[in-house]
Amino acid sequence: MNIWQVLSSTWNMEPWVLISALALLVGYGIATGFKLTKLSALYISGLLIFVLALVSPLDFLGRTYLFSAHMMQHILLLLVVPLLLLLGIPKALAEKALKIEPIGSVMRVLGNPVVAWFFGVGAMWVWHLPSLHDTVLANDSLYIAQQISFVLIGMIFWWPVFAPVESRRLSPLVSTLYLSSACLGCTILGMLITFAGAGLYTAYLNPVDSIGILPLIREELCLTPGVDQQIGGLTMWVPGCLIYLTASMVTIARWYGASEDYELISDSGTDGLVTATSQENK
Amino acid sequence: MSTRIPIVPENVKPLPALKENEGMLTWVASIDHKQIGIMYIIVSMIYFLIGGLEALLIRTQLAQPENAFLSPEVFNQMFTMHGTTMIFFVVMPLLIGMGVYLVPLMIGARDMAFPRLNALSFWLVVFGGILLYYSFFTQSGASEVGWFAYAPLSEKPFSLNKGPTYWALGLLATGIGSIASGLNNIVTILTLRTAGMTMRRLPLFVWMILVTSFLIIFVFPIIASAFSMMLLDRLLGATFFTPAHGGSAILWQHFFWGFGHPEVYILVLPAFGIISEVIPVFSRKPIYGYEFIAGSTVAIGLLSLGVWAHHMFAVGLGNVANVYFALASMLIAIPTGIKILNWIATMWGGKIWFATPMLFATAFIIEFVIGGLTGVAIASVPIDWVVTDSYFIVAHFHYVLFGGSIFAIFAGVYYWFPKFSGRMLSETIGKWHFWLTVVGFNMTFFIQHFLGVMGMPRRVYTYHDFPYWGSMNMISTIGAFVLAISVIIFMWNVRYSLKHGKKAPDNPWNAWTLEWATTSPPAVHNFDLVPPVRGRRPLWDLAHPDNPDEPNAKIV
Repeated sequence: MNIWQVLSSTWNMEPWVLISALALLVGYGIATGFKLTKLSALYISGLLIFVLALVSPLDFLGRTYLFSAHMMQHILLLLVVPLLLLLGIPKALAEKALKIEPIGSVMRVLGNPVVAWFFGVGAMWVWHLPSLHDTVLANDSLYIAQQISFVLIGMIFWWPVFAPVESRRLSPLVSTLYLSSACLGCTILGMLITFAGAGLYTAYLNPVDSIGILPLIREELCLTPGVDQQIGGLTMWVPGCLIYLTASMVTIARWYGASEDYELISDSGTDGLVTATSQENK
Repeated sequence: MSTRIPIVPENVKPLPALKENEGMLTWVASIDHKQIGIMYIIVSMIYFLIGGLEALLIRTQLAQPENAFLSPEVFNQMFTMHGTTMIFFVVMPLLIGMGVYLVPLMIGARDMAFPRLNALSFWLVVFGGILLYYSFFTQSGASEVGWFAYAPLSEKPFSLNKGPTYWALGLLATGIGSIASGLNNIVTILTLRTAGMTMRRLPLFVWMILVTSFLIIFVFPIIASAFSMMLLDRLLGATFFTPAHGGSAILWQHFFWGFGHPEVYILVLPAFGIISEVIPVFSRKPIYGYEFIAGSTVAIGLLSLGVWAHHMFAVGLGNVANVYFALASMLIAIPTGIKILNWIATMWGGKIWFATPMLFATAFIIEFVIGGLTGVAIASVPIDWVVTDSYFIVAHFHYVLFGGSIFAIFAGVYYWFPKFSGRMLSETIGKWHFWLTVVGFNMTFFIQHFLGVMGMPRRVYTYHDFPYWGSMNMISTIGAFVLAISVIIFMWNVRYSLKHGKKAPDNPWNAWTLEWATTSPPAVHNFDLVPPVRGRRPLWDLAHPDNPDEPNAKIV
């Protein structure tokens, strides 16, 4: 097989992926009235990437042969898909949903930035414990649970920054801090994986070569286990961080774009003159 | 005013107060941010002279091939101490000092949030420097292992002298001081802004100090731990960085550059801040694209944390790692380029007034772009493999740190000297200083690009008489002496102007930020009353009530 044959023959139409995507699409349509708007385009593109990440060769390769393919899928499912889905939810719909108990109070707990941060960064760290990762690869239902958890946790993680309802969002500067500390969290993990030396995840060392493409991967593409693991670690590290960075830039741009909210507080002085601020008169 | 209950009860009899005539003690015991700021600047200037002297010795040794002016050991000590001094005891404290002096004034505050911590930070820097320089008096002299002290060379079997130990101790002390001043700046900027000074109206210099301070508290702990591990290795026989005993020498490089690359931005972001203050005032226009300058600073700060391995392309991390880091490093050119374009757009169509601060700011843009372009070039792995550890790299980072940071600092000193001292620096001497600096700097370092490409490695104490090497090095050395003359002229300008300079009015440059609303020099309590802040240029709004920057801003 050459590389094109591999890429065209390893699509895997998982029913649970197609059914859940369809259900999400129909549910969204019912809630918003089947209109094509900017928001629904974001939402639909999120679903498309979700489906592609799970049925394309990325999934097949990531489950059997290549850690780097797994990591690309992981970044898509944890960082890209949930962000697009969240951005696609209209404000009015979210407000309505948040009024219904227990959704409102659950989101108050999960949307707490500290909780959300630990979920988001924790998902990366916990699912990449080597023994857990190897177990997941060997167990189909655990694998499905893992993929679903990526999307859900991703949405929780993005909530404090991009919640459809502004009042649930962090202020822009705190968002930047939130995102940059998360970036640091995944940088450290990415670094560990990159520099750990081959064989951190034993499943990828000697994969079961069911369709006989191992020589192609190892010899023609030069993806030895060491190189493969490095690409994986670096994918988490560099493009992963760039997503956080871009999101920070978006929040800062929004902040400067919004009209000035006059946070002026002054109780003294004529014509706005005040005494200098110090610890004493705060 | 204060309703706090004092933790320590007040003395019945007040402690003896310091009077004006008690001289030095009013400085040594001071916790006033203005005095501490000035002390930072004075101490850094002393280190600047020492580091400059070391540079002259290096250049004299290299002036001709097979020279025997310095022994190899002394030469190694010179370049190690020159690099360490200039980074940690000149550029950093100069910028922190200017920040400490200006930030409270610019945001309308009385002092820093923690004045005593501020004094502690300063004195840690001073004593860290003394500790470092004390190593010259030990048996075998100062550290000889270069400013990044790669293991295992800096480890015990290879460096048995005391130099690296003093080096690590001195820098550890200084680093703790830097972390404290970073925290102090963050708290001050976040909590002590005057009414109306929202985060979106913050002067850009203060913005840059804020981002720099976050970088400091993120990365200085890394290097502080690394110094501690190095000290454990050297003093207590640990083996963190010795491969022969199960440690890892590469780990030191990761630690060092994980700190070292953000450090470059710690050294240059406040310089960007100075330039962003000087250029609009001397172009008589508001800054172009305030939002982009502030936002791109955050982007630079975040990107700088993840690109350090481009200092390690020659280590052999693997092609994949090299490619990722090369790409990420090149990305930094985008936010930096945004800033350059904004400064040029601010000057474009403005009424430019080439006083000395503006001359230095304009030259900064040109020199920094040269340093930036060679930086993008060496972010490309194959080019880096050719020129790494050659004089090309030396030229590159001097264009960034001298052509960038030091030029901006000179711009800042000429700009704020009237505020610091109440007197103007002489413009005539200033112009001499400027032109000699430009000529001397480019003469010294531009030619080093060619020397590097021709294969001259850095850190060699001498070289064979290859074609042109002698003459090119001679040109560089002459340039270094021109630069030395320019620094002497600058020092003389400061001395002369302090005594005989023109008396400075409160706002000699007709600038717009709050520090110019105080007297020159400011009173101990900074402001009698802070003018209202209804936009990014409070003093403009005050002078032009009919044409404010933000016509819709509410009046409190």
